[in-house]
Amino acid sequence: MTFLRDPRFATLALLCVGVAACGGGSTIGGSGSSSTSTGTTTPSGSNVASVAVTSGPSNDSVNTLFTSVTVCVPGTSSCQTIDNIQIDTGSYGLRLLSGALTLTLPVSKTATGSALVECTEFVDGYSWGPLAQVDLTIAGETASSVAVQLIGDARYPVVPSDCSSAAPMSEDTVATFGANGILGIGPFAQDCGDFCAESIPEPAIYYACSTSSECTTTTVATASQVQNPVILFAKDNNGTIISLPSVATQGASGVTGSLIFGIDTESNNQSGTQTVVPIATTGADAGFLGTTFMGQSLSMSFIDSGSNALYFNDSNVTACTNANFKSFYCPGTTESLSATFELSGGMTASENFSVTDAETLSASFTAFPGLAGTNPQSMSFDWGLPFFYGRRVATAIQGYSTSAGTGPYIAF
Amino acid sequence: MTLRVAPKIWLLSTIAVGSCWSCAAFATLGEPESALKGESQLSAASIKLSDRGTYRVHEIDLPSGTVVREYAALDGNVFAVTWHGPFVPNLKQMLGRYFDEFSAGAKAARFDHHHVQVNQSDLVVQSSGHMRAVSGRAYLPQAIPGGVSVGELE
Repeated sequence: MTFLRDPRFATLALLCVGVAACGGGSTIGGSGSSSTSTGTTTPSGSNVASVAVTSGPSNDSVNTLFTSVTVCVPGTSSCQTIDNIQIDTGSYGLRLLSGALTLTLPVSKTATGSALVECTEFVDGYSWGPLAQVDLTIAGETASSVAVQLIGDARYPVVPSDCSSAAPMSEDTVATFGANGILGIGPFAQDCGDFCAESIPEPAIYYACSTSSECTTTTVATASQVQNPVILFAKDNNGTIISLPSVATQGASGVTGSLIFGIDTESNNQSGTQTVVPIATTGADAGFLGTTFMGQSLSMSFIDSGSNALYFNDSNVTACTNANFKSFYCPGTTESLSATFELSGGMTASENFSVTDAETLSASFTAFPGLAGTNPQSMSFDWGLPFFYGRRVATAIQGYSTSAGTGPYIAF
Repeated sequence: MTLRVAPKIWLLSTIAVGSCWSCAAFATLGEPESALKGESQLSAASIKLSDRGTYRVHEIDLPSGTVVREYAALDGNVFAVTWHGPFVPNLKQMLGRYFDEFSAGAKAARFDHHHVQVNQSDLVVQSSGHMRAVSGRAYLPQAIPGGVSVGELE
């Protein structure tokens, strides 16, 4: 078994501090690396896409879920299937890295004929590029003329200074972005929503570019913004379910699962008995859900397949001293902890979880259920991909109904 | 290549209420807070000032819905800034001369798209969240007034 102390890891570490363990792709299949598959059954159907936790195109991802999508120039049979698309319930809409795209897609235009270009503000970086429409196929689900973003498109190479003021670095290549694209299937229908239809945030999200380098900020009707593609499917369009097997404490590689479209729309996506965690839609905590941990109500919490660890603050858990694992936890032996989700009507639901020493994680694995780190926000508990192992997690989109209620909510 | 974008933003975006926030002489990490007082360009945003003994807090509700707080020591210098809401604020403006250090620190590591942490002896920047709901803070550890806990910077 190859451990992170392996010299091979040292060379990877610089690239991977934030994602901690860095799945080292070259030795996948090392001893003990097979994934376990208890806790869930494998669903089948035209609404089911295969997903996998892999090291990704940059070969340095951990606890990162990928799938593939097929995009076509609208109304044509000119299509491309793109793999290594990250599945992110913490964003909304499909974004493709131009470096992974061989199709030439026509850029979306504003009413006055300018190109519609977006500055996507992820917390760790900004991604600049035009909108385009694609006919989209994922598993057996299709949608026509879906507004997506083409990140790093050579036709619009000049990033406005306003955009680069929103985050610390540019993420316009496959290498810097860490994926060939990202499929944002979180609980909202658009990446900005009503605000961008009426006003312009500062820094702005949307721009109208009259030339490759002359851009002005603009409002954009919600229907023309980048769309959560799920709402555009003819059916199975009220949300998604991510189903992953449980993973052994020491980690695993080769973990595969399912992305199921729709909730209570087919025999394979029934809600059944489950815990429903509502997401706030108004006020200072809009977009977040509530978690109580160590007696404190953390109102800015979220459940997010796009976060690669559990992020929370507990001074009783030993922090890693190795600089490569700065901000992660290294408790020596695995610790068992508990938190509660805040449900509607004042109800709560207990959630047990484990924290495994980040420095003991094998570099040959890509899935670590016990990976945890400090949260940059003291009022937040971020339930990243480890939360998804060994269960089905449903994400219901705002305004869409299921038998369990109306979105936005997360249920499991 | 000459960037021709920025000037046009101010001239052409008539509904960009929030845009004027960044052209205002806004108080910035490590800079004097005084520029904030009586700032007419901030009329679209509401500003509250609270005195907490060893420091002062300016709370600014941006038109975008994001709330920004700035913490100024009694010497008048801003030692911390925090933000939370639907949109990331203009961090280059808020971090000022520390933005480049933040950028370099973030590039030296690799984060998922929903976190970034830069922890250095002279600068700490912590930000997290998902699209449409983000929060974060930045502070100068060596400039925090005595007796003030980092936990107070919310």
